[in-house]
Parts: sequence; structure tokens; C-alpha cells
Amino acid sequence: MEELRYIEFDNYLNNELVGEELTSFEKRLQSDADFKQEFEIYKSLNSSLSSKFENEKDEQALRQTLNDLGSKYIKTTKKETKVIPLFNYKKLLVAASIALLIGFFVFKNGNPVYSDFSNHNNLDIVARGDSNNTKSKAEKAFNSKNYIEALKQLTTLSNEHPNDVEIQLYKGISLLELNKYSEADAIFEKISTGSSAFTTKATWYKALNYLKQKKFEDCKRVLKTIPEAAEEYEMAQKLLGEL
Amino acid sequence: MSQKPHADHIYIEALLKNDSRVLSKVYEKYSHKIVSYVRKNSGNADDAQDIIQETLVTIYHQAKEKNFILTCPFDAYFYLLCKRRWLNELKKRGNNRVTILEDEASIKDEHLEQVEETELFEQQSQLFESKFKELGAKCQELLKATFKIKKMEEVAELLGVTYGYARKKKSQCMGQLTQLVKNSNEFQQLKDY
Repeated sequence: MEELRYIEFDNYLNNELVGEELTSFEKRLQSDADFKQEFEIYKSLNSSLSSKFENEKDEQALRQTLNDLGSKYIKTTKKETKVIPLFNYKKLLVAASIALLIGFFVFKNGNPVYSDFSNHNNLDIVARGDSNNTKSKAEKAFNSKNYIEALKQLTTLSNEHPNDVEIQLYKGISLLELNKYSEADAIFEKISTGSSAFTTKATWYKALNYLKQKKFEDCKRVLKTIPEAAEEYEMAQKLLGEL
Repeated sequence: MSQKPHADHIYIEALLKNDSRVLSKVYEKYSHKIVSYVRKNSGNADDAQDIIQETLVTIYHQAKEKNFILTCPFDAYFYLLCKRRWLNELKKRGNNRVTILEDEASIKDEHLEQVEETELFEQQSQLFESKFKELGAKCQELLKATFKIKKMEEVAELLGVTYGYARKKKSQCMGQLTQLVKNSNEFQQLKDY
């Protein structure tokens, strides 16, 4: 019953209703409030999702531009590298100690930021003699921080090798870099509860995912589950200390 | 819709064209005010950068999908959007020590109208997106393919099903999604807006 209604919506939006079908459809839109409401929702959904998916790539490109402009115009503090003449070393020392004080102050008061902890290991999946083109494209993109392209290649790879945890993990990292938090989280969650060699690494990234979203409490909670024996333990403790 | 674009509509166009030269003016002219507002209200420069970027991306989508026309000065419109987004963010972080909201009385009604239009647009898109994620994996995949590829013949081929089946499935999945949206609390609230 209901299904027919949506098929009709779709046909109407595609201009495929003609003659009597069209007249009766339009009549119903006017007389049946529930029918009209559902049609309006259907239509808005169609337009919204279609625009969203169609422009996914453009959106990423725009975000890249905005990122660059943002770091150029907003975080100018790091950029200024004035050359200070050598003989002025006294001033330099004073400046340095002030900088140290400020640094200490900021460190003590500010929350840690994602970028301080997001040094990813290089992706290294191309075996010698292996001529898998997608793999080398993925490596190249990921290692040069082109995460949009990396995600594309890694998605292809993860469909080809659904059981390869490393590929999944790096797909997750790419998603994280692109701020697709919930998709990233789903991947890290799955790996961290699995039994591969990447479980604690995935837990670590799960925490970073929260950190990037500034969900500090969640971040702490996850960090505390990283065991002492793990490679990530030291970083986890460092981050915990700053939170 | 016979709205006359304001001269600042160039910024909206720049978003659509990803024109970094014009967009750099946005950062040059308007970002300082926002950064200092966020800083004054328990945030840092990183937060401000995120707020600015998300606001611009929202405006981009609104312009793409709804042909949004800016009819008031960009400055007032953008500043208010960013401010409100930051206050929302603070609420989400559970920070109730929100300080002064500078008086919005100085904002003209027509500006406020445009701000609210953009916010409504965003709330609706977010609702749609979150309900989309509640669909089963099959439906998500099919709809994504449908909206990306447009031609149902090609979608059917890609998924290895017949054209008729793909069409039928599409309206079924969209029907489910319509129901999810219709029955959500957020939708009731949006309607009352």
C-alpha cells in the first residue's frame, strides 16, 4: 500500500506522471494533508541528499582552501620567523624566557590539540614486486597527506581485501583527517575489539578521534584502556597528562 | 523570489567557485572579530577557525542547493552566524559559563531573517543526514549511488540489478527515510519553527 505512494512520488518528481494519473495525483496533494506532508518531506530529502552527495568532492576541495586560508590568517603566531641580529643576544634571551613562560602558561591552561598528536606512521603496504596500482596510489596519497585521494583508494582496497585490518585502519585515519568522525569511529571500534595486531593502535586512534572533536572526557576514558605493554602507552600517558 | 543580491553576495559566489582569492578577503576582513569573540568566551584560535570553516561550508551548501541570495551585508550576517554557532558548541561541551551575548538588538530584522534561514537550512540537512545513517547498509548504498550517478540505468548496472528493481528499491528506501524523518522529534520542532 504505502510503497505505491513513494513510487508515485518518485514518478511525479521525474515528470513521469501523465494524463489522468497526473491529475489525480495533484488533486490528492491538495485534499490529503498527510499525503502532502509526506510528499514535501520526500521532495526535500531528494533535493538535500542529492545536492550533498553530488557536491561531496567540491565540498572537500573548498574545505582544503578554507583550511589553508584559516592557517594563513588565523594562526599567525607560529609563522613569524623574524631574523634577529646576533649581537642582540640579550634581548633574544629575554624574549626566549618570556616565550618559555608563555609557552608554559598556555601549556598548563589550554587543552591539547589533535595536531600535536597526529603523527601517523607512513602507510607501507606495497610488497616488493607487487604491482598493485591502487596500493601504491593509496600509499602515495596517504603519505603526502592527501587524505581525500587516500580515502578513495583505501575504500577501493578495503572492498577488495575486506579482511585486511591495516587497510581498514588507514581508511579510518583518512576519515578522521577528513573529520568524518562517526565513520572513523565505527572502523576504530571494530578493529580495537578484534584480535589483530592493530587493536591498541585502533584504540589510540579512537581516542584521537574524540580529541579532535574536543570530547575530552571520552578521550580520557579511552586512553585509560591502553595497556602498559603497548607501543602507544607512552603517548597515551603524555596526552592524559595534558588533558 | 525577486530578491536583489547585496554587493557582498560576491562572497557567496566565491564559495561556490572555490575562489581562494576572494575567500581570502573573508578571512582578512572578518576573521579577527570572530577569533576575538571566541577567545573572550572560553575558546581559542583553533575553535574559531573551526567555527568559521563550518559556517562557510554551510553557506556553501545552502547556496548550492537552494540558490541562497545574500540580501544584507556579509559582515553582520556572518558574524552573528559564527557567534551563535560558538554558543551552541559551548552548550554541547557542557560549558554553562557562557558570558555576555553582545546585544543583538543592533541587528536589523532582515539580517536576522537571513541568519535564521541559514540555521534552519543546516538543522534540516543535519536531520536528513542523521536519519539517512539510520537506514540499512543496502539502502544507503543504493541511495548514494542514485544521487551520485543520477542515471538509474547506470545505477542498476553498477549494482547488478535490473532497472525496474533499482527504481522500486529507490522509492522504498526513500519511503523508509521519509517515515524516519516524519516521526522524529527534531522534525516536529523544525515544523514549529
